[in-house]
Amino acid sequence: MNRLLLILWSLGPMLWQLYTSFRPNATLTGNPMQGGWTLEHYQALLGGNPPFWRYLLNSGVVGLSSTLLTLVVAVPCAYGLSRLGRKTARNVNVLVAIAAAFPYVLLFLALLQLARDLHLGNNLLALSLPYTGLSLPLAILLLQASFRDIPPELEEAARLEGLGLWQRLRWVLLPLMAPAIASASLLIFLFCWNEYPIALTWLSRADLLTLAPAMARIAGASVFTVPYGGFAAATVLGSIPLIVLVLVFQRQIVSGLTQGAIKG
Amino acid sequence: MAPALLLLLAVFALPMLQYAWLSTQAQTVLTELEPQPVGLAQWQRLLQDGRFWQDAFQTLRFGLCSVGLELVLGLAVALLLNQPLRGRTLLRTVSLLPWALPTTVMALGWRWIFNDPFGPINLLLAQVGLPTVSFLGDPAITWLSMVWADTWKTTPFVALLLLAGLQTIPADLYEAAALEGANRWQSLRRITLPLLSPYILIAVLFRLAQALGVFDLVQVLTAGGPAGSTESLALYAYINAMRFLDFGYSATLMLAAFLLMLLLSGGAVLLWLVSRPRWAGGQR
Repeated sequence: MNRLLLILWSLGPMLWQLYTSFRPNATLTGNPMQGGWTLEHYQALLGGNPPFWRYLLNSGVVGLSSTLLTLVVAVPCAYGLSRLGRKTARNVNVLVAIAAAFPYVLLFLALLQLARDLHLGNNLLALSLPYTGLSLPLAILLLQASFRDIPPELEEAARLEGLGLWQRLRWVLLPLMAPAIASASLLIFLFCWNEYPIALTWLSRADLLTLAPAMARIAGASVFTVPYGGFAAATVLGSIPLIVLVLVFQRQIVSGLTQGAIKG
Repeated sequence: MAPALLLLLAVFALPMLQYAWLSTQAQTVLTELEPQPVGLAQWQRLLQDGRFWQDAFQTLRFGLCSVGLELVLGLAVALLLNQPLRGRTLLRTVSLLPWALPTTVMALGWRWIFNDPFGPINLLLAQVGLPTVSFLGDPAITWLSMVWADTWKTTPFVALLLLAGLQTIPADLYEAAALEGANRWQSLRRITLPLLSPYILIAVLFRLAQALGVFDLVQVLTAGGPAGSTESLALYAYINAMRFLDFGYSATLMLAAFLLMLLLSGGAVLLWLVSRPRWAGGQR
C-alpha cells in the first residue's frame, strides 16, 4: 500500500505529461473524455527552429565537456588532499563542503561579468568553465574519500617497483577508483544538464541554448494561449534522456549522492 | 592542486568579493553603467525597500516549509525503503526520478498539473463536486503550490541521505529496545532520531541553502506572481540586474540573501549542538 502510494506520487505527474503530450489541444480544454490521439505536438517540437533535439544535443555537449574537465582538474587535487595529514585535510574539506552546498545561483551576476569581460558568452565549451568550478567541490570530496580507501601499502609497493607518480595513478590507483569516478561523473553530468541560471545568462542564441533555458523560453513564449500539449511533449522529450540515465546508473548515482554528503 | 584551487577561487571567492565591492557602488543606466562609489547608500536603500522585506519573508517561508515537509516525507520514504521489501531497488529508482529531472522541465509540467480548471487535480475536484482551486492564481495559495512542487522534486534526495544514515544503525539496538518493551514510536524517538541526527543536519543544511536560493522553480512556475506573492530574493536580484540594469543593488541583494542563509545555517547547527546532549541523555 505504502509502496503503491510512493510510486503514484513519483510517477503520477510524469504519466500525466505523457498522456497530455499525445492529446490534441482542443480536447485538453474541452471535454476530457472525448477526442482522439495525436503526434502533432512532437512533430511541431522536432520540426521547430531550432528543432528540439538541438537543445538535448547542446546539453549533452556541455555536460560531457564539463564532466571531463572537472575530472581532469579534480583527480590531482583529490590525490594531493588525500596525502595530507588527517587534520589539515579535515579543515580543507569543511571549506570544500561549504562550497559544495553553496547556493550557486547567487554567483550568476559576477560570472556573467566574467563572461562579458573575457568574451565567453554564446560558447558551449566556455560554459564548461563555470560548470567545472561549480562541480569541483563535490568531485573533490568524492574522489578524495575514494583515494583514502586505497591502502597506502599498495601505492608504496608500486613505488618500490619504480613506478613514477603518473604511472602509479594511471595503473594502480585510478583502476581501483572506477566506481567513485563513475559516481562523480554521473552527478556532475546531471548537474550540468540541469543547470539553469548560468546557462540562461551566458547563452542568448537560440540554436545554442541548453535544455533548461530552452524549457524556460518555451514556457515564457506564450503567456496568454495555453499550448499545454506542446508543453507536455517538451517535458516528455526533456525527461527521457535523464530517465534512461537514472534507470541504467541508479546504483552509481545513489552511492555518489550518499557518499558525497557523508564524507563532506 | 593549483588549477583546482584557482578555479574554486575564481568561481566562489572572487564573486563574493566583487559583490562586497559592488554593493558600495552605484552602477545603473543613470551612471552610464560605470560604477560610482556611493558608500553605504545601497544598504540603506535595502533596509527601506518594502519589496526586499516581502521577498525575504516569502523566501524564508518557502524555505522553511519545503525543507520541513521534505524532512518528514523523506524520513517516511527512507523508513519504507529501509525495510526488506520485494522490488526495493526498483522502488528506489522510481522514487529517485523526480530528483533527476531539470527543475525547469518539471516546473513547466507542474504548471499544467496545477492548471485551473483543466489540470488533473482540478478535474478530479470537479468530478467529485468540489470547487476548483486556483493553484497558481491566488496569492494565498500559490506559494503552497510551489512548496508542493519543490517537495515532489527534492524529497528523494533527502530520503536517500536519511536512508544511508538508517543503514548505519545496528539492528540489535532495535531488538534490545523491543525486548525492553519499547513500541515502534518509542524506538523511532529514542533510537532512530538521535542516531540519525547528523544525517538530518546535513540534509537540512544542504537543502536550506538550496531552497533559500530558489530561482529556477519560481521563474518557470509562477514568474514571481501572482502579485509578487512568490517572488524570491534570488529572482529579485536577477530582475534588478537583468531588467532594471541596477547592478550595484543586485549585488547588495545577493549579499543580503547570502547573509540570511548563513544566519539560518548557523541556527540549524546551533540547534543540533544544543539538542544533542539531551538526546544522548534520553538514550540511557
